[in-house]
Amino acid sequence: MNQSKASNGLFFTWLGLLGIAILIGLFAAFKILTEGHHLFNANDVLIWSLPLGAYIYLALTSSGLTLLAAIPLVFGIKRYEPIAKRLIFLAIAALLGGFISIGLELGNVFHMVYIIFSPNLSSPIWWMGAIYSLELIVLIFKFQRIHAGDWTSTTSKTLGKISFLCALIAPLMIGSVFGLTESRVTYFGPVMSIYCLFMAILSGSALCLFYNLVHAQVTGNGISDEKDSLFRELTRIFTGALSAVIILTLIKFFIEGSTVIPEVLNYHKYAQAFGSVAGMNTEIILGLFLPFILISMPGLRYKQSTRIFTSALVLLGTLAMHMEILLAGQSRPVGPKAEQFPDVISYFPSIWEWIVFTLSIAVMLLLFSLGERFLKLESKPA
Amino acid sequence: MPRYAMVIDLQRCVGCSACSISCRSENNVPDGIYWSNKITETSGTFPNVRYHYIPTLCNHCENAPCVRGCPTGAMHKLENGITMHNPKKCIGCKYCEFNCPYGVIYFNWTYPHKSWKNNEKVLEGTASPKEEVAKVGGKTIPYYNPEREDTLSGIRPKGVVEKCTFCDHLVKRGKLPRCVDACPADARVFGDIDDPNSKVRQLLGKFRPFRLREQIGTDPHVFYIRDFNPANYQPSKGGI
Repeated sequence: MNQSKASNGLFFTWLGLLGIAILIGLFAAFKILTEGHHLFNANDVLIWSLPLGAYIYLALTSSGLTLLAAIPLVFGIKRYEPIAKRLIFLAIAALLGGFISIGLELGNVFHMVYIIFSPNLSSPIWWMGAIYSLELIVLIFKFQRIHAGDWTSTTSKTLGKISFLCALIAPLMIGSVFGLTESRVTYFGPVMSIYCLFMAILSGSALCLFYNLVHAQVTGNGISDEKDSLFRELTRIFTGALSAVIILTLIKFFIEGSTVIPEVLNYHKYAQAFGSVAGMNTEIILGLFLPFILISMPGLRYKQSTRIFTSALVLLGTLAMHMEILLAGQSRPVGPKAEQFPDVISYFPSIWEWIVFTLSIAVMLLLFSLGERFLKLESKPA
Repeated sequence: MPRYAMVIDLQRCVGCSACSISCRSENNVPDGIYWSNKITETSGTFPNVRYHYIPTLCNHCENAPCVRGCPTGAMHKLENGITMHNPKKCIGCKYCEFNCPYGVIYFNWTYPHKSWKNNEKVLEGTASPKEEVAKVGGKTIPYYNPEREDTLSGIRPKGVVEKCTFCDHLVKRGKLPRCVDACPADARVFGDIDDPNSKVRQLLGKFRPFRLREQIGTDPHVFYIRDFNPANYQPSKGGI
């Protein structure tokens, strides 16, 4: 009884903290919408900053979670069913967090109506927005079906398949927003799309592992043998995703290091906002290499603490990697803007950008917490 | 339907910036935003040094990346080749600005012409900026040009992008873009690139033009011809 009271107390304190963060965030949102985006430390050279980086990170994580949920829901692998409902819910919450971030990044969110009435089908931003909106709607309906106990009807299965397709295409679209800018050589090409898809799987599997293990720890429910074997499989998926991103990052690193194209040389010079060790970016070392080494050690691989620590490192590392790529490609003025701006733009997020970021994360965490408490996220087909 | 283009003669251009100043007045351009701008470069070391000056504006590209990327069609092409923007459709995603290879699109990060709302007097006995605006009955700025409203918001609101429109409101009435008209050296020539008899076509045939970042395939419609260089050197058979 006392334990339950204490747990309730902690829960409501947690909700209170999130509530405060959200209230501050709403005030910031009002301020940004009424006063303008000069409150951000962005400018006409460094156009997209932390709120857009947070959107990319959360949207890709949501796609990664949806792709993992497809293992039981689309491909019918039953041993993954105990985490399917939770994965769908986490994907919805992460995507909503991302939408908050991009909504506050837009100069005029009220003109979004034209995206529907005047779509430009040649625009990757249009496709990205359309597919993520569809993904959100489908995920909500899919969750509603599962919550009602309908795991196997044609409607439920179709919703699962559509959400899987959306989650597969949407990261490619985020990548193509960058990959189609011929004016910025460091982004142009198909690499960004492939990179975003791999990053989605990586951050999605990291959040899945981190959340499930921390949840087991916090609730004190322990991990059943069935779940333990499932988490071991998830660890292997996580390690696989980590390896894929490491390979892609190394290929990118060596190509960028070998070329003498001026734009790439300039980009490389300023692509280490978080510092470097022996020429390699700190966030890659701490967010990719270190977790990979730890998770590859047979003695450490399946220890709960190792898995929580490595997945947390990857979650922070992937955010930093997205920010790094976003900022480095915009650090130098294009054309005549060099007349009004310095040769290289330095950037640190303003308090308002931090609040937008915190708001997105707080909304996501609030949904996680409420969902966990009231929506029976561990239920599986009867 | 004509396809408009501009030729800038760099030998005639004296770098006086009359184009930029007249553009600001004509289009009510706010502080920090440059529809008409320049690229300057100093090469060499003293005494063998040279200063380059290239006036810039929207290139009204045939294959405009800003138009292709705009999610709502706010950035669009007119039939006469002008790349136009509709602030009423703009969601302020800034993708056009991100995507533009020429750095000629700007975002309204705050309310435009904010300084003119200031009610503080600059010096005792003088009028405040706000009083100055009220005195001339101007809209936001004392030098407000209402003709701009013909085809675009007179002053674009915060949260949307803006850029050069080749003064489409003047072109529509058979007039020249303001920067062309205001150039004291007649360095700018504007006209129909599809008309073989136009001055633009004549100049492009007579001189070897170049365009900015041609290699990326955007097909810019602003061409540069000639170059001004008063330097001279002693003829010789080599430097050994």
